[in-house]
Amino acid sequence: MTVSTSRSTTEADNLWNQCAHAFAQWTAGDSGALDDLVALMTPVLWHVVRAYRLSEETAEDVIQTTWLAMVRRREAIIEPAAIGGWLTTTARREAWRVSKTATRAVAVEDDELAFRLPQQRSAEVAAVEIDENRQLWAAVDELPERCRRLLRIVAFENRPDYSRLAVDLGMPVGSIGPTRGRCLAKLRVALMQTGDLP
Amino acid sequence: MTELTREALLGVVRRVWRERDPVPADLVAKMQAVVATETLDLDYELLVLVERSRELTGARGGSAYTLQFAHGDVALLVRAAAEEQPGDGGRLDGWLAPATAMTVRAALVTDEREWTTDVDSRGRFEFRDLPSGLFRLWLTPRDSDLRAFGTPAFEL
Repeated sequence: MTVSTSRSTTEADNLWNQCAHAFAQWTAGDSGALDDLVALMTPVLWHVVRAYRLSEETAEDVIQTTWLAMVRRREAIIEPAAIGGWLTTTARREAWRVSKTATRAVAVEDDELAFRLPQQRSAEVAAVEIDENRQLWAAVDELPERCRRLLRIVAFENRPDYSRLAVDLGMPVGSIGPTRGRCLAKLRVALMQTGDLP
Repeated sequence: MTELTREALLGVVRRVWRERDPVPADLVAKMQAVVATETLDLDYELLVLVERSRELTGARGGSAYTLQFAHGDVALLVRAAAEEQPGDGGRLDGWLAPATAMTVRAALVTDEREWTTDVDSRGRFEFRDLPSGLFRLWLTPRDSDLRAFGTPAFEL
């Protein structure tokens, strides 16, 4: 199986550094850098916000609100290095607020997430990939829901603020770290059981 | 077999979610277009979307939804609907409360086109025959002592 093992530690760090650079350039007058920042962080915001069980439409609204807030408050964001965290924190706060409004929140059921076949590939390659994907998906699906949500947020963020996460997930602050550890341990076991891992 | 590190496990989580719930293909471009409109004019209050609801699709086809925006005591309800005849474009109906004399611009986010109308004495306004696309509404009061408002972008 082709699970990446080495790049990951630097993946979020690299992204956050690129964001800090783009934000600094934009606030210094380079308007094109804003497009770079939006391209870098929109995918991260998508995954973080969707962990709050929002519909696609509502998730897009939350992401838009986040970007508009950044543009409008850019002068109040004193530390460009922290822009990645500022964006994800703002998006999570808004996602949490919106998810409390019952009529707008739509549970994302697993069977709603249509299975998407890789396009334009040979049947043989596709079959192997599908099999691998199914195993990985199954391993993630076996986790308790709280684990799935917590790990999705943690995976796409860079060292999120635990006190805010605790409020969002309805957990005591002190339990986020241990819970994350337990969730990762469960995932590790599930992946080991699927067979040939790296 | 090597032990799976924490980062490797989080890498699996990222891979799974990227595959099963991918970012919508046009989302980055939409957000880039939206922030571009925001940098041009900051001298207004941003109305916040407080509720979105979709109406049941009518027998004749078209779909409609309502958006409710608010800022302080100001509330704006917008109904966006496809016209009943194909090719007729879309319409927006707005209700502003409290009713205030304002000029309303419906501006496409993706290009320069825009349409203008006025809020009537009951707080209502409408646009007809709009193309489909991503719009923002800009409300400018006749009385220059009052604040101008803008909405986030929404799809027609």
